[in-house]
Amino acid sequence: MSVPPDDHFFRHEYGRLVAMLARRVGARHLETIEDAVQEALLAAVETWPRGAVPENPSAWLYRVAHNRVSGELRRQVRHGQLAAGHALSTHQPAAEEQLALLPGDIEDELLRMLFVCCDEALPVESQLVLALKTLCGFDVREIAERLFTTEGNVYKRLERARTRLRDGPDGAELTGTQLGSRLPAVHTIVHTLFTEGYLSSRPESAIRRELCDEALRLAAVLASHPVGQAPETFALLALMHLHNARAPGRQDATLGLLLLEEQDRSLWDQEEIALGLALLARSTEGEVFSRYHAEAGIAAEHCLAPSFAETRWSRIAECYELLEQAAPSPLHTLSRALAIAEWQGPDQGLAVIEGLEPPAWLLRSYQWSVVLADLHRRAGNKELAEHHRSSALEAAPSGAIRTALARRLG
Amino acid sequence: MPKYLCLQRNLASATPSGDKPSPAQMQAMYAKFNDWREKFQTNLVDLGGRLGAGRIATAGPTTDGPLVEVKELVGGYMIISADSLEAALGIARECPGLVRPGSGVEVIEIHSPQ
Repeated sequence: MSVPPDDHFFRHEYGRLVAMLARRVGARHLETIEDAVQEALLAAVETWPRGAVPENPSAWLYRVAHNRVSGELRRQVRHGQLAAGHALSTHQPAAEEQLALLPGDIEDELLRMLFVCCDEALPVESQLVLALKTLCGFDVREIAERLFTTEGNVYKRLERARTRLRDGPDGAELTGTQLGSRLPAVHTIVHTLFTEGYLSSRPESAIRRELCDEALRLAAVLASHPVGQAPETFALLALMHLHNARAPGRQDATLGLLLLEEQDRSLWDQEEIALGLALLARSTEGEVFSRYHAEAGIAAEHCLAPSFAETRWSRIAECYELLEQAAPSPLHTLSRALAIAEWQGPDQGLAVIEGLEPPAWLLRSYQWSVVLADLHRRAGNKELAEHHRSSALEAAPSGAIRTALARRLG
Repeated sequence: MPKYLCLQRNLASATPSGDKPSPAQMQAMYAKFNDWREKFQTNLVDLGGRLGAGRIATAGPTTDGPLVEVKELVGGYMIISADSLEAALGIARECPGLVRPGSGVEVIEIHSPQ
């Protein structure tokens, strides 16, 4: 007997089955579908190890889950909870549905479900939770753990999404135009998923790592289909690979930039860098310039620089400026200040921040203080440097970050 | 070696629905069960299975009878061989999926004429 080869077999089968059944019976039955998929997976856990793993495990699971869904929908029709049109015939999945088990089509279903999750009528938080639940196969507790929020909060967001799917237009019938108009939301979700995993200043990196892998998986599905093959998709995929390639020195954005000098560049994955650069080249085939292009451009400059000192800081400062235009955030301005300081000196860096009125959340964060502490120290403003240094250390969200800050700020 | 019938029992104290395992937890259960199966492969006579619906054959007409209740009490069965009841209990206790919050295993010796 063979154990399913992939460590995430059950989680990914969950996503695949939910997507396929949502396509078959409509996403409005999501709760029924999810229960059926859960039971099908549990049946596999209980029966496979006692006998043999079926020759085609995915087809086995689909058949069991499909039977459960149709049984439950028939029951709901009998009890008057559903109009008769929702009941499925009792037949085994037809040859045409068996064909849907070909890998390419499964990816189509996953992709369609991703677009269903990215419903503009839902807040981004709900979209994200819905995608994590239905496509990535995490349960409420696991999602709460990964997004650093409470189970109650995750549950609330999920309920909102389910209500919308139940009462709103059915995602299974999304038209080509609707798919196109939802593409930006899909990019946002995949980007958020990756950022949650990659850029967080919080510890527990192993479980957050999974979020990066899921983002890459979904983006790859997106890039494999004409509906998703937009310049932004390739830029997004490029930026994720260019970040991933430097995973050994991974930290959050501000700190990452500060500690770049300490990184051992020989540890970076050159194959993944090459992949990221190829995707970045592909993302420029078109007239579009998005925030993902700017972010991928920055990551590419770091990857291409033979050393910290030889980095083309002018190019990086330029990319941050483009990023500020595409996606305004004072954090991007702070990063530009650091790049300018490397390029033209600390006083020029401070000049970038001078006009900036940081929002309260940024003032309280360590990012703000650490950049000021660093620039003032290098500019020779001892007292200001010391003041911001102690604020930064105090606001550091984890011991690891505090240690790194103390080392960097001297 | 004597054989033992293992019945998976839903414990009365547990709530029937309980927490559904997540796909990641199922992955872990699956892997653990396979490890257990490897470890005790010489002791496992019949890995059995879950019990479904049943009927009783009697001299009179067939009936759903008390088996409906048995089904609720017994989730599944398997047959193992071991040197003693103690050893059989030890094997059953290590079986993931059988012994977990909400369920236990009843181990019963099967007498055979020697």
